[in-house]
Amino acid sequence: MKPAPSLLSSAFLQPAGQALPAPLLALRKQRGAALVDMPMPTRKTENWKYSSKYLKLTDEMAVSLPTAGKTGSALAVPGYKVAFINGVMVPEASEYPDLNDILIQRFSDLSDAEASELAERLDSTLDAKAVQFAGLNTARFEDGLVIRLKPGAVLDQPLFIIHEVTADASGSAFPRIFVEAGRNSQVTLVEEFISSGQEAVFVNSVTEFTLAEGANVTNIRLSMGGENVQHIGATGVTQQRSSRFESHCVGFGGPLRRHDLRVRLEGKGAECKLNGVVVTQDTQHYDNHTTIEHVAPNCDSEETYRNIAADKSHAVFNGRIHIHPDAQKSNANMSNKNLLLSTGAEIDTKPELEIYADDVKCAHGATIGQLDKESLFYLVSRGIGLREANVLLTMAFINELVAQIPVDAVKDTVQIRLNQFFDQAFQEV
Amino acid sequence: MLSIKNLHASVEGKEILKGINLEIKAGEVHAIMGPNGSGKSTLAQVLAGNDAFEVTSGSVTMHGEDLLEKATEERARDGVFLAFQYPVEIPGVSNLQFMRTSVNAMRHHRGESEMNAAEFMKMAREISKQVDLDPAFLKRGVNEGFSGGEKKRNEIMQALMLQPKLAILDETDSGLDIDALKVVSDGVNALRAEDRAILMVTHYQRLLDHIVPDFVHVLAEGKIVKSGGRELALELEERGYAWLGIKDDETAASSALSNSAN
Repeated sequence: MKPAPSLLSSAFLQPAGQALPAPLLALRKQRGAALVDMPMPTRKTENWKYSSKYLKLTDEMAVSLPTAGKTGSALAVPGYKVAFINGVMVPEASEYPDLNDILIQRFSDLSDAEASELAERLDSTLDAKAVQFAGLNTARFEDGLVIRLKPGAVLDQPLFIIHEVTADASGSAFPRIFVEAGRNSQVTLVEEFISSGQEAVFVNSVTEFTLAEGANVTNIRLSMGGENVQHIGATGVTQQRSSRFESHCVGFGGPLRRHDLRVRLEGKGAECKLNGVVVTQDTQHYDNHTTIEHVAPNCDSEETYRNIAADKSHAVFNGRIHIHPDAQKSNANMSNKNLLLSTGAEIDTKPELEIYADDVKCAHGATIGQLDKESLFYLVSRGIGLREANVLLTMAFINELVAQIPVDAVKDTVQIRLNQFFDQAFQEV
Repeated sequence: MLSIKNLHASVEGKEILKGINLEIKAGEVHAIMGPNGSGKSTLAQVLAGNDAFEVTSGSVTMHGEDLLEKATEERARDGVFLAFQYPVEIPGVSNLQFMRTSVNAMRHHRGESEMNAAEFMKMAREISKQVDLDPAFLKRGVNEGFSGGEKKRNEIMQALMLQPKLAILDETDSGLDIDALKVVSDGVNALRAEDRAILMVTHYQRLLDHIVPDFVHVLAEGKIVKSGGRELALELEERGYAWLGIKDDETAASSALSNSAN
């Protein structure tokens, strides 16, 4: 007899907060009902094969972390700021101007009519079967944020969304964001996931973007939570004609880090560019799953991901490109390179191409290697210390991607964190 | 300045250097010649500290200090410079970043303050002109996309920048056309100084028309079999290595062929 599969504990299906408009409460309830008996991923679950062992949810982590009276870290940002604390947006800690053509609203502030419209669209960018935990976010979000850019709206500065969990006690947070970018609108959205406190917590986040014709959205996502934070996040994107989506995901490892990024190119001539950098050390983990659906013809996608794993850490990359039968003249490029800094580290990479159209250009490449000994010798033969030579070469592996991050302040934050990573990764060199 | 005594070294268990003895004084230029596979490049790599080669016996001292016990970067900081036969390409690290890090590592070692970006650029521009490299190359990755000649000029540029005590040039003339050879030789001649020694490793005599050595040594099968003045190089040019009873490539290759035929 097969042992019964382990199921998601019912403790995880108790949402907090009843301040939402009726249509969203109804949606939440409906999603919750659908997750009763949800099997937890195991090593036999294909899209969790390398990561299921890192997922360790306990009932103590099921309860929503308190949001009342929390103000979070007073982080200064060079732009507009929206602060999320324990999954809920805190207006007092946020700073952005009142704009006519860009609406930033909490779910709880929506009218029933607006909420009903939103309820129809939530989860529309993600495939519930492939992204199991996005449904849990919909079943649990306590509140959420909707950002709507009217046609032609251009946000003049980056909008920073600071997702902070205050882990003074065990619990979980379910931040939810829905971005609707109207025709020819433009925005740069920076999401930073951070944590304070030391107790074991679970973050389950979902951010969705819908890009209307000609919209241009840049999303920078920094995952920087502590060693006590298990984080499963999903980003869903749908793109209409001639829209452009650019993503820069920089992830630092943790006990469990999972990010699903799904982009659907639904309108002719849409293009997306997805960059990703992951560094892991100690016994950390990080898993990126990306999917690009070429649904419409003449779309371009370019994906570049780099993983660096030190010590006994484990990084995973699974990149899927799916070219639908009508998506003629698709142009898809995927590159994934991986660097192992120790013999105990592990990186699993899996490019997946599914092509159903005949007139397409589709290229992919994946490599795994170590730092080049000859290059190291060349550098040290010029008097450069071995440690510094290691750092130079490791940085060289991701330089190009870091340099492309379009907001300087974020680039600086990334570099500071990378330097800390190098300090530890090469401390014995 | 440099004293090599009975140096033996092997790679992957195979002995390449079988007892090298060589004394080099400050101000001297020495050339080491020999057929392919004689151990010339191995000697250069061992002196620079490449740990792919294992020193099995013998000693090397520089200014009386044991060179072999020092790490590669320490040797470099003490003034050992190797111009590589095949300089590596390192995309993602700019020449500028690389050279500035290197120059500052040396300055730090000497207890001098670091050079700021402006000072460094001024020096780098001047020296790049001296070796006929467009200063725009400084922004590119280390040796990335460089032609063979550009790589060699970049090596000489680094030597001029770092002002080593001992410059080892490994086949610096290979792959150079006559104009590039002139540029590289002028660079090396500019390095000649009373307090500096130069050790050139070369297969061909032609480099020695431009950089005239004080001493020439012939290396064969891991040993120096003959030493002399500059006229030794000319004699080798005229009479070939066979004159010294050394198998050169072609004879070695043909004897290997006849062996396998048997």
